[in-house]
Amino acid sequence: MSLCEAEKTFVLHGVEENFRVDGREREDYRPMELETDIVSHAFGSARLRLANTDVLVAVKIEVDAPFPERPYEGKLDFFVDCSANATPDFEGRGGEELAVQISNALSSAYRSPNVFDLRKLCILKGKKCWKLYVDILLLECGGNLFDAVSLAVKAALWNTQVPLVKQVDIDGNNINLDVSDSLSDCQRMDVEKAPIMVTVCKIGERCVVDPNAAEEKCSVGSVVVAVAGRKISTVLQTGTGSLHPVTLLECLTLGVKIAQRLDTALWDTLRQIKPNQDVGFLK
Amino acid sequence: MPKDHKRINGPEETVPYNLFTKLNTKTLLTKFEEAVCNGKRTDLRVPEEHRKIFLKSGIVSQAKGSAYIELGKTKVIVSVFDPREIPNRTDYSLKGEIYCEFKFAPFSCVKRRQHQQDTEEKQYSAIMKQALESTVCRHEFPNFQVDIYALVLHNDGSVLSAAITAAGVALSHAGVPMYDAITSVTLGIQDGIRLLDPNCEEQTLCEIPISSKQESSHGVIIVSMLDTHEQISQFYQYGCISVEDLSASVDVLKQACKNIVPVVQKCLVKHVLRTLNEDVED
Amino acid sequence: MSRSKELISKIGLRLDGRRANELRRIRCKLGVFTEPDGSAYLEQGLTKVLAAVYGPHQVRNRSKAQHDTAIVNCQFSMAVFSTNERKRRPRGDRKSTELSMHLQQALLAVIKTELYPWSQIDVYVEVLHADGGIYPACVNAATLALIDAGIPIKEYVCACTASLANNDIPMLDISHQEEVMGGPTLTVAALPISGKIVLMEMSQRFHLDHLQKVLEKALQGCRDIKQILDEAVRLHVRDVGCSTGWANTS
Repeated sequence: MSLCEAEKTFVLHGVEENFRVDGREREDYRPMELETDIVSHAFGSARLRLANTDVLVAVKIEVDAPFPERPYEGKLDFFVDCSANATPDFEGRGGEELAVQISNALSSAYRSPNVFDLRKLCILKGKKCWKLYVDILLLECGGNLFDAVSLAVKAALWNTQVPLVKQVDIDGNNINLDVSDSLSDCQRMDVEKAPIMVTVCKIGERCVVDPNAAEEKCSVGSVVVAVAGRKISTVLQTGTGSLHPVTLLECLTLGVKIAQRLDTALWDTLRQIKPNQDVGFLK
Repeated sequence: MPKDHKRINGPEETVPYNLFTKLNTKTLLTKFEEAVCNGKRTDLRVPEEHRKIFLKSGIVSQAKGSAYIELGKTKVIVSVFDPREIPNRTDYSLKGEIYCEFKFAPFSCVKRRQHQQDTEEKQYSAIMKQALESTVCRHEFPNFQVDIYALVLHNDGSVLSAAITAAGVALSHAGVPMYDAITSVTLGIQDGIRLLDPNCEEQTLCEIPISSKQESSHGVIIVSMLDTHEQISQFYQYGCISVEDLSASVDVLKQACKNIVPVVQKCLVKHVLRTLNEDVED
Repeated sequence: MSRSKELISKIGLRLDGRRANELRRIRCKLGVFTEPDGSAYLEQGLTKVLAAVYGPHQVRNRSKAQHDTAIVNCQFSMAVFSTNERKRRPRGDRKSTELSMHLQQALLAVIKTELYPWSQIDVYVEVLHADGGIYPACVNAATLALIDAGIPIKEYVCACTASLANNDIPMLDISHQEEVMGGPTLTVAALPISGKIVLMEMSQRFHLDHLQKVLEKALQGCRDIKQILDEAVRLHVRDVGCSTGWANTS
């Protein structure tokens, strides 16, 4: 998407007047739709549609050996795939840079044990652990990818069912896992504090949240704040501009406020989701 | 992990031996208490004191501009090459591009590093690019790309900050137009104690929560600043830090970045004097 | 070949309860996304595919532009979670490249490329869930996406698989389970109205005498799919038409 100067001015003035192009105020989000359990091959999945940003997240679980330096912890791996369906620019390896940026942001946001405890994924110290592959597929990009991805990831992890290990048999170097077959024996993960990212976008002199694609083009820089509980787990800056420390702190405070609001909304939605709803792209 | 077939790789699946030594049995809390004992760190600094910096420009003769930086034991070389046309680009871009490649030398860390860039190095490259993009006058060289390579010779904490500060010097040494000198500082937080410019061990200790209290913060912050206009060109944090702690840390970091500026300026003046002398001799 | 005997039971039912000449349930939707010029979602049994069409637009790589036709660029990609075992890479492997080329071949047969000289049409398909018959699902979804994008095509291009069970009975629309169980798979992409075949691919072997009836079965499947797609298109056009108000003017 490319905008001419006049269009940019229009967006800028809208932000200044607290009446954005689509009628929102500066701190408003666009409508969101959330569905869980839509990929049957996966242990947990979620699809989030934020206006015309569409993200599909699936969690797959494999048995792996823990890192030797952290024998008590399982593994968590984020993989982002920018589908060419979103924009022709992502064809081939075109989306890789964005994909790496998002997955790096996610892994640093989930890095602290206070945020997401990997110790629960350990099966046998130093030998066996669960490895969670969180695969994110970007199907459509309508701005504000970080927020959409983090919400979808949290919902997918909430939805994930880790198989229950009934018994571990150790015979010399061989380790046999006896995994329970019953679906009802699965464990849910604790995602109470899983981070939610909020992109605070600086347009002109003001900060807005949930920028759409056009607004992102008008901004010189934005701050992505990942909030876990009441704390900040990751801050990173995107875009090419620089910020004054005062503006940065304003962005952080705004980010935390918005993230808490989003978190409450997410939990409300997750509680309302009933199992076995007919969901998917056909709706 | 991608494998490089052009080189002879070391054996796979190796584990550093020091994980199994007796030193490794200490709990994190005792380790941290040893690291900060009576308000003094192992190298006798107070918590909010930066290590001594050694900075020198023009040490790689093949590169257009280069700089070498030492922060205690941390050693980084940065080289900058002439602008060249952006490869594999069909459309014309009004602003120049910056390409950063951050690399740990295979012997720089406790664990051996692979020759190919891993995800951590890629992430650091991206942060470096973010920091330098707003520093360089990119409109001065449209459709061109400046390549910046940072090589860590010894990793003893705060490597990214060292690389960014050195990259600023290397860029000015290469004569790339810039708005301002850029300086960068790392800060670790653990249990209410702020450790400026942490070394490798302190940095690892700040990454994991030590105290069982829920309110205490822990984490690492890396900030790059342009001094004259007090602009933050890059801000990266991970861990789990409350807003209050974060805002207090920003002030500390701001001051720390300011304190480095004279070092950078001095290094640049030295370079100018050296070139002038060479001209006179010619 | 002994195991393929079990593909159809004595009472003529397949593993998933279908009869030999039955297709899996096809559900589809046009216009699922707003960003692309045309998009479609198609479910064939458990196989789920998304297709997006961009264009016709200026050719991105100028040197490839053709003065008399549009170039059709296809990319096939599979979500890493689409298969039972997690895939390492979504695209770029040999199978994806081959499928991209086959898809391009099928679509070139129907798109009226001569109408758009110096331009390019991009077709991207993304497999969300793989359960056998990936290629046919992609072709069918791509056809719908092209229609949604309003790109002139000569007629529907539909694809279907067929196999031979018990060395005798031809059966339609092979699922992943049946693929794994063994038996040959014949994939056909055809133009059902004119009865032309644009692509045919066979894995494993069977006697030449069987080819005629298996092929006939696959072509029958293509015709059936065309019916289903056509219905979906008509419904979609009616919905879009109603919302834009054309129904009131007549």
